[in-house]
Amino acid sequence: MKNILTIIFRLTVACLLAGLVMGAAFIATNKAKKHNIHVNEQKVMLSLLGFSAKNPAPDAVAMHEVYRYLVGEGEGLSMGYLLPLQDGSFSFVTIDLAGTFVAQTPVTISPEKATEEGERTQAVASALGADKPLRYADQTIVVTDNGKRMAYLLPGMFTGFKTFIGAMLALDQDFSIRGLEIMEHEEDPGLGAEIEQEYFKNQFKGKPLETVKKLEVKKMPLPEEYLKALEAGKSGLGAEEVARIQEQYQDDDIYALTGATISSSAVTNGVKAMVKKFAYRVAILDRVLAEQHIATPF
Amino acid sequence: MATDKTNLQLVVNGILNENPIFRLVLSMCPAVGISTTVMNGFMLGIAVLFVQVFSSCTISLFKNVIHPRIRIPTYTLTIATWVTVIDMVLAAYLPEAYGKMGIFVKLIVAFAIITMRLEMFACKESVNASFWDGIGMGLGFMFGMMALGFVRELLGLGTVLGYDVLGFKPLLFFVLPFAGFFCVGLMMAFFNYVEIVYKRAKRA
Repeated sequence: MKNILTIIFRLTVACLLAGLVMGAAFIATNKAKKHNIHVNEQKVMLSLLGFSAKNPAPDAVAMHEVYRYLVGEGEGLSMGYLLPLQDGSFSFVTIDLAGTFVAQTPVTISPEKATEEGERTQAVASALGADKPLRYADQTIVVTDNGKRMAYLLPGMFTGFKTFIGAMLALDQDFSIRGLEIMEHEEDPGLGAEIEQEYFKNQFKGKPLETVKKLEVKKMPLPEEYLKALEAGKSGLGAEEVARIQEQYQDDDIYALTGATISSSAVTNGVKAMVKKFAYRVAILDRVLAEQHIATPF
Repeated sequence: MATDKTNLQLVVNGILNENPIFRLVLSMCPAVGISTTVMNGFMLGIAVLFVQVFSSCTISLFKNVIHPRIRIPTYTLTIATWVTVIDMVLAAYLPEAYGKMGIFVKLIVAFAIITMRLEMFACKESVNASFWDGIGMGLGFMFGMMALGFVRELLGLGTVLGYDVLGFKPLLFFVLPFAGFFCVGLMMAFFNYVEIVYKRAKRA
């Protein structure tokens, strides 16, 4: 009996110590880590749009963040979008699942604070009234050039082989894929981790919505010329040649990675779901905005 | 029971006499799964080296207060703590390196070689000896992984460290996971043969 008590005591102390060390490390590093993630995200967004440090985005290009929430409405659910308005304020537009407009509530929050999930959710909740359950779903960045829509950026998460894969997807106005970047993942090195290689993620580039809707993986070796076009940076192929080959394979399925079919199809299905759902939702949102004469900067 | 080996002997012991991959045959899953290229082997080797050294020192420091009945849970807890801390510190202060090494660090928690070294060595020896043993084991693991990675990358992809040396891909087979077993077996046989020849030469 005494033995059991000592074991319980020692194990508890060991766990507490471990927790203390991890907690201290978390507090010490969390801020820097978040900052790094944010910087990286900005860089990836710009590179997906085709800009870089050498070729910076012109001032006419602006990014507008739209946050999607799930709102409990009595028995059912509805979608809420936190939108920036033309005059710089924010508005929360609720749309029920059938696609009809429910309400528009002004939200008082500064643009800087809107990027912080905690403060944003609090502001939305206080604008709506406290009794409605509210859950943050995802965000979309609408990129405009001189006030006209240029592209959409969708950060997203989907299940991979072991745990979640975080990705950033850039779509054109007509929902064809502009680019895909893998932000974080824990796939096996040498196998599933190849999803972050150019020859895999560039396969998504340029695929139109109709192709993406029925996208699958195929277990076949990558054709030689397609591989060269996908790794244009390495093989030194000209831009015209790359565009020609890309177009030729544009309606093809995704060629699975050798030894990592699960990771390949996880990314393919994840991208497919993200694009399909987004195209559906944005059509509804646009219709409601037009019907209600809500003036957004995009 | 303190070890009578010098620090240098401890390090060499980890690399040659008790090489984790070719002698102790521990941590075979990563050895077979990840040693597809030299770079992968090197990254995992570095990650294991750090976790091994930190864990060995911690266990050796606290060896007198660890209840013998709960040794293994305590070891696992220690390794998990260090893996988490290293992961967080890398992500915060070395984002570039973290981008490349992050996935390797997270794999380590369940590695047999680290638990085994804590059980066989660190829980009986001084902190100093455990430190050098950890270095030796880490380097031995890195050496094994890089040797395997070299053979597999050269034969499977025709490259070394990403540079094309052969100009063609001899056998894709070598990059696939099951080829890892063949490589480990063949290299183990090679190292055993070297040892036999060495002993014979010494005797004669």
